[in-house]
Amino acid sequence: MARLSHTSLWMFMVFLFSSYCTAKTVTYDFNVTWVTANPDGLKERKVIGVNNQWPLPVIEVNRGDQLVVNMHNGLGDKNASIHFHGMYQNGTNEMDGPVMVTQCPVPPGATFTYNFTVNQNGTYWYHCHADYCYPDGYRQALIVHDNKSYFADQYEEEFTVTVSDWYHELIEGIAPDFLSVYNPTGAEPIPQSFLFNDTLNSNLKVKPNTTYLIRLINIGAFVAQYFYIEGHNFTIVEVDGVYTEPTEAEILYIAIAQRYAILLTTKNTTDTNYPIVTIADSVLLDKIPSDLKLNQTNWLEYNAEAPHPQADITVEVASDLNPHDDMTLIPHDHMPLLPDPDYTITLTVNMENLDNGASYALLNNISYTPAKVPTIFSVLSSGSLATNSLVYGEFTHPLVLNHNDVVEVILNNNDGGSHPFHLHGHTFQLLDRAPSYGPTFYDYKDGSPVSYDAFNHTAFPQYPMRRDTFVLPPQGYFVIRFVADNPGVWMFHCHIDWHLSQGLGLLFIESPQQMQERLTIPQNHLDVCRVGGIPTEGNAAANSVDYLDLKGQNAQVGWLPAGFTSGGIVALVFSVVSAVMGVAFLVVYGLSDLKFKGKGGGVVEGSQGEGAGKEVGSTTVREAYRDNGDEVR
Amino acid sequence: MSNVFAPSVFFIVFREVLESVIIISVLLSFLKQCLGQPDQDQTIYKRLVRQVWFGTLAGVLVCLIIGGAFIGAFYGVGKDIWSQSEDLWEGIFYLIATVIITFMGLALLRINKMKEKWRLKIAHSLVDKAKHHSAKSWLGAWGKRNALFILPFITTLREGVEAVVFVGGVSLGLPAAQFPLPVVTGLLAGVLIGYLIYRGGNVLSIQIFLIASTSVLYLIAAGMFSKAVWSLQFHAFAKKVGSDVAETGSGPGSYDINQSVWHVNCCNPLIDNGWDVFYALLGWQNSATYGSVISYNVYWIGIMMAVACLLYEERTGSLPLKNRILATLAKVPGLKGWAKKKQDVSAEHAAEVVRQGQVHLAGGVFDRSDSSSLEDIRQTEK
Repeated sequence: MARLSHTSLWMFMVFLFSSYCTAKTVTYDFNVTWVTANPDGLKERKVIGVNNQWPLPVIEVNRGDQLVVNMHNGLGDKNASIHFHGMYQNGTNEMDGPVMVTQCPVPPGATFTYNFTVNQNGTYWYHCHADYCYPDGYRQALIVHDNKSYFADQYEEEFTVTVSDWYHELIEGIAPDFLSVYNPTGAEPIPQSFLFNDTLNSNLKVKPNTTYLIRLINIGAFVAQYFYIEGHNFTIVEVDGVYTEPTEAEILYIAIAQRYAILLTTKNTTDTNYPIVTIADSVLLDKIPSDLKLNQTNWLEYNAEAPHPQADITVEVASDLNPHDDMTLIPHDHMPLLPDPDYTITLTVNMENLDNGASYALLNNISYTPAKVPTIFSVLSSGSLATNSLVYGEFTHPLVLNHNDVVEVILNNNDGGSHPFHLHGHTFQLLDRAPSYGPTFYDYKDGSPVSYDAFNHTAFPQYPMRRDTFVLPPQGYFVIRFVADNPGVWMFHCHIDWHLSQGLGLLFIESPQQMQERLTIPQNHLDVCRVGGIPTEGNAAANSVDYLDLKGQNAQVGWLPAGFTSGGIVALVFSVVSAVMGVAFLVVYGLSDLKFKGKGGGVVEGSQGEGAGKEVGSTTVREAYRDNGDEVR
Repeated sequence: MSNVFAPSVFFIVFREVLESVIIISVLLSFLKQCLGQPDQDQTIYKRLVRQVWFGTLAGVLVCLIIGGAFIGAFYGVGKDIWSQSEDLWEGIFYLIATVIITFMGLALLRINKMKEKWRLKIAHSLVDKAKHHSAKSWLGAWGKRNALFILPFITTLREGVEAVVFVGGVSLGLPAAQFPLPVVTGLLAGVLIGYLIYRGGNVLSIQIFLIASTSVLYLIAAGMFSKAVWSLQFHAFAKKVGSDVAETGSGPGSYDINQSVWHVNCCNPLIDNGWDVFYALLGWQNSATYGSVISYNVYWIGIMMAVACLLYEERTGSLPLKNRILATLAKVPGLKGWAKKKQDVSAEHAAEVVRQGQVHLAGGVFDRSDSSSLEDIRQTEK
């Protein structure tokens, strides 16, 4: 459990006594260490714990609070960081958390302080944003309470529910086999189980005739999950921190990193309990091991004595379920469709094998490769060159956005998998997506990819829904818009952790000049870089003299050679020459056989070649014939 | 075409049939020379010729039965096992096939020498029969009387079974549909060429045909050797990848880039039409590995060295170290007999044995039930 500091404890007391909370500082001291846990009852494994506890503490703050997290990396063998997923971090880009983007990785033994104001509300989560880190357990809910929300007086109590996939091995153990020449299709490792609040078969204790707010978060690394409660409908009131018009729904599809808050009114009876059903989207799985339990049943427990029936799954595959389409939601604030974009970015997702044989993810043929200097430091140290995207290197895929531009991103998917794309520092308007959720979602999966056509698309909604993580359909596309009003380096990436490690991401360098004006990096952050030996100025290649000289920058693996390389031609020519020479040898050898003709070929005509032998032979034959003649007769 | 015609099968059948035909023709020549002269008794001659033909046919018949059973068992039992890890088996089978072809192939270029060899062998066996089988033994007597049945019988049987085993070995990986045509055509070609040789046709053009077919045979063998290495490597790769390697067709991910020398995303012999002919004849791979390229070249270098040694031996009589090695080997207990035999055979000796064989044959040793003893023959010779 998190040790709340004195201040925050004191603040917490204040909060208890005064229902109106004014801005306060909430401090968490996280000592990040390895602990063991066995959440699915199948295997005890090493997980990343905080203050020797796992599951991790839920971070809870109120809107307007100052959140301070002092993270000490006590793992000993692994870098770490924290990304507060969904936090806008306006003015505090350096607190966002992705390593080599807005900070240096926090090496073992170092302490890193996150300190920012939470000017938003709703359901979020936090997780490690270093390489191969958060699926080892370093992820938990972050709740920003808001007692002024439009539905604040409609519920009595709230629950937070996390769903997650779960691996039995350390991610760093699985990863080498994933990004490998022996995994040419880039098949993602199959999880061993699916957790509900980091456990299984649990109960949410409810009273009859009562309304609850349930916050749902998929804190997994790979697999989206369907969610429904048998016998109950519910009302969606928030998505990714954005309040929605209350919308009745039956089934939700919660992709990795997505959140929903729902209002649920319980029934009037307590004679039975109702299964809360979560079903993993098995379409994402390359193969389904026989011992993998895709459906989980937890219960809305009206009465502990009453039966706890198992979920009655009526569909053959999860994709037969028809989830509520998040495109159709309307934001409660009725923020209208943003005007035509100042900057339109068209991106295409591809999965390809590069020169080492492993499968990589590419956005417009770039597989995200971190720079040698965290990109935020490149922005801050490059002066007037900061608006030049060359500074940030080719393979961080930097896209420089002008301050307050309306940016439209068209994302086409040439890959047969779905990708939950997440934009740091923003929520974005959902303008279009094809195919839409529901029975048609996988329609393009097996055909050829369908790209967005700007001149022929469905009408954009008047009040587009906004969220920070949006699912790109298999071989389909989506279109989003946002205003570049948040100076910072913001990552836009697929939140499937495997795909991020394959490079499915890019960087928006948003308002670099405003960044230089507004941001100051705390000394603590720079110290951490020094401990890790990572430069804090210079371009992507750590060149702080000539910012446009990218020699030595980190680069993605090269392209597969197409067809015959020079080596291949040499090999082929060599082979042909040896074959020709070999045949020549055979011909010479074959022709030299003719000399035996003189000796042996005479058999038919009588053995003239054998001189004395023949004569003796012939005479004997005749003699013998004479002898035999008598005897045979 | 290559869906129904396996060139390697054709050449093996052709080669075995040719060898059988040559042996039989040598036998017939023996007979004609010793007993078939116009001034000799045609009845005995004809009876013996008939014996030869009966033996031949009986051998072919038995071998057909054995072969049928063999191939039947092969496809009945084996296919299930092999389909499990196809590439592994394919690699092993190709390796077997290469070894078989390599060792039998060069002999095809020594048809004339082969005839000499068989003359010697037949003579040997005639002498042996006369020497060792005492008339008192019923079987021995029968064997002696019917030597000219037994010899071709054994010969065709042996060559036939050899063909079946070789064809089996070479074609383990092939579908059954690729068999019949090359077997039949190989048979016909073998008989035809054998007959032409017997009739003493145009020696040069026959030899050119043999050279051409041997060259093709070795091209196939080199391709097979390369393919064997390729298959074994691919098996190792596919095993590590798991089941999905087949999903990727011939594109990226369908091969191990670390081993790749060239890879073209086309011309896959297993998928694209036309390229399977190159594959069957020359061992073409759209995805060559270090292993497959190096093994192909090494194979040819090996063949060139072997041919060079053989030519050297023929020209100078022996290889530089041969006698010394044989002398050493002769001291090794197990190999003594074999090495002695190798040491013994010399040209003069060979001529002597052939002569003796003719003597025995002409002497009617194999024609009568009571023995004319070896001593008698020896005396006659003196």
